[in-house]
Amino acid sequence: MFLVVFSPKGNDEVSPDATLMQQLLRRDVSAFEELYERHSRIVYSLVLRILRQGFTAEEVVQDVFLQLWRNSARYDLSRPFVPWLLTLARNRALDHLRLKGERQRRREEQTEEFPQIASAAPEYEKALDEKRRAERVRALIGSLPAAQKKAIELAYFEGLSHSEIAASLHEPLGTVKSWIRNGLMRLKEGLQATS
Amino acid sequence: MNSHGQFRELIEAYAIGSLDSADRALIEAHLASGCAECVKALEEARWLVSQLAHLAPAAEPSDMLKGRLLQTVRAEAAGGPARQQAARGAAIPWWLWAGVAALLLFSVYSAWNEQHLRNAVANLQQQAEAQRAERQKLEQQFRAAKLQAHEAMIWSDPKSVKIKMPPKDPNMPQLEAMWHPEMGLVVRGWKVPSPGEKRVLQLWLIPKKAGGKPMPSVTFWPDADGTFTAMVENPPDALSDTQALAITEEPMGGSPQPTSAPMWVGGVS
Repeated sequence: MFLVVFSPKGNDEVSPDATLMQQLLRRDVSAFEELYERHSRIVYSLVLRILRQGFTAEEVVQDVFLQLWRNSARYDLSRPFVPWLLTLARNRALDHLRLKGERQRRREEQTEEFPQIASAAPEYEKALDEKRRAERVRALIGSLPAAQKKAIELAYFEGLSHSEIAASLHEPLGTVKSWIRNGLMRLKEGLQATS
Repeated sequence: MNSHGQFRELIEAYAIGSLDSADRALIEAHLASGCAECVKALEEARWLVSQLAHLAPAAEPSDMLKGRLLQTVRAEAAGGPARQQAARGAAIPWWLWAGVAALLLFSVYSAWNEQHLRNAVANLQQQAEAQRAERQKLEQQFRAAKLQAHEAMIWSDPKSVKIKMPPKDPNMPQLEAMWHPEMGLVVRGWKVPSPGEKRVLQLWLIPKKAGGKPMPSVTFWPDADGTFTAMVENPPDALSDTQALAITEEPMGGSPQPTSAPMWVGGVS
């Protein structure tokens, strides 16, 4: 069976991030500052990798953290925070990449649609702390053949579809589909193996 | 592979956002049908995909960004009480002048408020319109995905009978059909030239019974690339009672009996 056991965190396991998000509801600026200190580097690294322009990346990161501040009430405290934040940042950066101009400005004026993300993290999430998991992710994806790694990066960082990746890499569509799925399965198995 | 397995194979690509639109519509329709196993697998896949952020080279934002953010956040946090204090300060001395100022302010506020409300109503109407359009689009996608899934099931089910439909004109392409005794009949074609102006192609079922007349079925026409898929969920006659399928060119709207010679005929074995 593919599915692993999911373990929703109980009230007695509230993460530091969830606690800080609760404090944001009370407009606690120091909680916001701490959240920024904890996560601005990974968020900025991700957004910069997608947009490749420091100035624009900072604009998007600012936007992401202001959304966090202004719409903290809409965050579901039972959901894992970091994946949710990274998904929000990735969506905003890819939107910026695709929708420059008036359409994007209109979207920015609207209330942000918060991204959907797992309501609970898989069991093996707890096996490694954030830093060691980051190293493991880099090692596992780095061990893939170069073209397969490139296909995954094009999907994740550029937001390309299977067809666009196949055209970009001059590879058959079926090959690209298998590369992405198998690459993610290998990442999952590698992370599970550490639990 | 069963259809659930096919959907399961799309989950990771859906989570990373790389599915092309047809596959995306298929998986969204499947998820909307409430498959608990796929919904759960999607949650895990989304978590897994978010871990790819760690592939980004480490970089640090400038101190100015933090400064700008904190300045905005502090100002917003202090906004409510500061405004209340200002209101209290203005109400204390010079009550007469304050009253006049308040009247003036009230007039300006009323005009502004009216405009603001008008804008808000217009915005709400715009949003409702956009949501209606989005819902219609999703419903269309869902219907198309359902039809596609039905066709795929007919095409892949071992109970279906394949029917080759060679053309009468050797310059025309061969068509093919697949007939499932319960799920219906699908006819497909590629590089088929468009029928004449105000004309359509029409499918006929030729009965086995001696002297039986051709039974009219769907009308259709190929797209700009000459591709078509004609789906008949309830054929007018049973597979076992049908000798052959035929396609003719007919006036727009179809005919009760063929008015031209068949362009394609395929025997039902």
